[in-house]
Amino acid sequence: MRLLVIEDDATLRESLAAKLAESGFAVEQAGDGREGLYFALEYPIDLAIVDLGLPEMSGLDIIREVRSQGKDYPILILTARDRWEDKVDGLDAGADDYVVKPFHVEEVTARVNALLRRSGGWASSLLIAGPVSLDMSRQELKVNESAIELTSFEYKIIEYLMIRAGQVISKTELTERLYDQDFERDSNVIEVFIGRLRKKMDPENVIKPIETLRGRGYRFALERGQSG
Amino acid sequence: MSSLSARLLISVSVLLMFFFGVTIVVLDTAFRSAGEQAQADILDGHLMAILAAAEPTDRGTLEMPPDMHEPRFGNIGSGLYAELRDDAGARVWRSRSALGIEIPVAEQSELGVRQFRNETLADGTPLLTLSLAVQWEFPDGELRPFVFKVTESLDSFNAQLAQFRRQLFGWFAAVALIMLLSISGLLRRLLRPLRQIENEISEVEEGKRASLSVEFPTELTGVARNMNVLIDSERARSDRYRVTLDNLAHSLKTPLAAMRALLTQARKETFVDRFNVQIDRMDEIVRYQLRKPAASPVNNLVRTLIPVKKEVERLVEGLSKVYHDKEPTIETVIDEGMQFRGDSGDFLEIAGNLLDNACKWCERRVRMTVRRSSDEESAGGMILVVSDDGPGIPEEAAEALLQRGTRLDESTPGHGIGLAVVKELAESYGGQLEITQSDLGGAEFRVTIPSSETGSGSARRVR
Repeated sequence: MRLLVIEDDATLRESLAAKLAESGFAVEQAGDGREGLYFALEYPIDLAIVDLGLPEMSGLDIIREVRSQGKDYPILILTARDRWEDKVDGLDAGADDYVVKPFHVEEVTARVNALLRRSGGWASSLLIAGPVSLDMSRQELKVNESAIELTSFEYKIIEYLMIRAGQVISKTELTERLYDQDFERDSNVIEVFIGRLRKKMDPENVIKPIETLRGRGYRFALERGQSG
Repeated sequence: MSSLSARLLISVSVLLMFFFGVTIVVLDTAFRSAGEQAQADILDGHLMAILAAAEPTDRGTLEMPPDMHEPRFGNIGSGLYAELRDDAGARVWRSRSALGIEIPVAEQSELGVRQFRNETLADGTPLLTLSLAVQWEFPDGELRPFVFKVTESLDSFNAQLAQFRRQLFGWFAAVALIMLLSISGLLRRLLRPLRQIENEISEVEEGKRASLSVEFPTELTGVARNMNVLIDSERARSDRYRVTLDNLAHSLKTPLAAMRALLTQARKETFVDRFNVQIDRMDEIVRYQLRKPAASPVNNLVRTLIPVKKEVERLVEGLSKVYHDKEPTIETVIDEGMQFRGDSGDFLEIAGNLLDNACKWCERRVRMTVRRSSDEESAGGMILVVSDDGPGIPEEAAEALLQRGTRLDESTPGHGIGLAVVKELAESYGGQLEITQSDLGGAEFRVTIPSSETGSGSARRVR
């Protein structure tokens, strides 16, 4: 998941970004409004964290612009002003939730996770699809009630696919959203990881959680919800 | 009466009454004396004619011709009478008109002197009488005194006088009325700009207009302009105040947030906790102190009319995003056309804090009603009730909760401060916050705000 943090205070921005990266997110950072808007419109972003009081361009204007350009990824506001007027203005402009400064970083992580799964249509942080269950708060994957050991990158992939269960995700999208840096985008790497995931989750090849659509990408194929 | 036009009208009517009264008295006196003079001249003429008509007889007395020069002497009860008495007071002759009428006999004084007298007949008819005592020289050379008397009823004169007075009063009353009407019309016209400026000021206070219009007569443009400058500077001041506070909040809280974020990288757990406690305290102080000015008494000039329904809809929409996972059913019942008169952010602050609280604590249902108060004391005011189906608040805890900054539950941050802010805001508008039990099963928060602390309608003054 690629996050964008727009915050003018460098210390806050960097430590927030570090903490989010620790939780397994790829994080872009912007220090002012203009730069922030550029990232928000041009980069493949899954969620933006926007401070309302920014130099160059206000957070509210960024949100309005992003929404008017048809981007519908979740937006979390950071605000120092905790008057309801400001919160309502932000939510009205198109933000999805707010965190009032000074926040606990854990709170931001929790809101981010909630917004991300909400954007995929999941109501709780425990994503269940048939025999597969993914606990986002613990970053834990279970198949038929038994926990599966995953590397952090494997986890990122299955989380991304599961949140968007039913949607086709291209290899490019996976590389863009999951790599922290602009690594050489070698789609073979993704193929390798998908292969490993399949082996770990479904050694007997009976559940078939991840479908390959030739030339288009991958899809998490299991029906949402408890099976039978 | 404190209105300018009433004062002017009263003074003008007093003056009018005085001048008209004097004029009426003068005119009446002039008319009356002129009439009386004319009456006396006529009587004198009749007397002369009678004197000329009298013929001495051989019996030593006077004789009058049967037909007099004036036909009214011949008609009985015509109101014009004449008689002639001798020295002893015995009647020698009387005109036919005086038949059956007893003309009072009065003492006759000097010879040759005309004597006018006001007398009354037995039936009460007022008379003006002219009598003249003369020495008549008879052909035998003897001189005998006689008293000639001519008298006329004043009935017709009085009737004329009364008629004149009626007309006089009638005309003057009509003129006075027309004058008063035109003066009050004139005043209305003259004072219209004043009334307009008054209306506009109260519209500004009610938030219906932003500033006074500038189309006033020269004398008032200065006042209107100064008023506008005052309003503008008041607004600018309050805006500047808010911006300053926002900047202050931003510049204080961002470092606090940064400190907290840095702490997550720290090693020593005990230090982290202790630092976090200090950051919490600073945060609370900053939040409370920076929000307080918003709850200070609001100047009348910066108040506007806030459409309640629209604001509540925005809030509910925002809160349904924030409480997306919980999905509380938020039911709102709002009186049609309900408006809140005050600072634009204050209503959102009151409603937002209460709704947020309710969403936080409810099981599934939240209900908000906003209606006009109907009881006499606060008629035209606003009653805002937010209730939920959560655990509710015990009575003794409700008291403590209303104390500033007290928190019932430390794990749900902002609970106490939010309510304290609602309470202070309500009080700054002259209202109050009550906590009771809701029929939904949880807590019910009721904010009552009177229509305006300074009264309503035209009685409101600029402070």
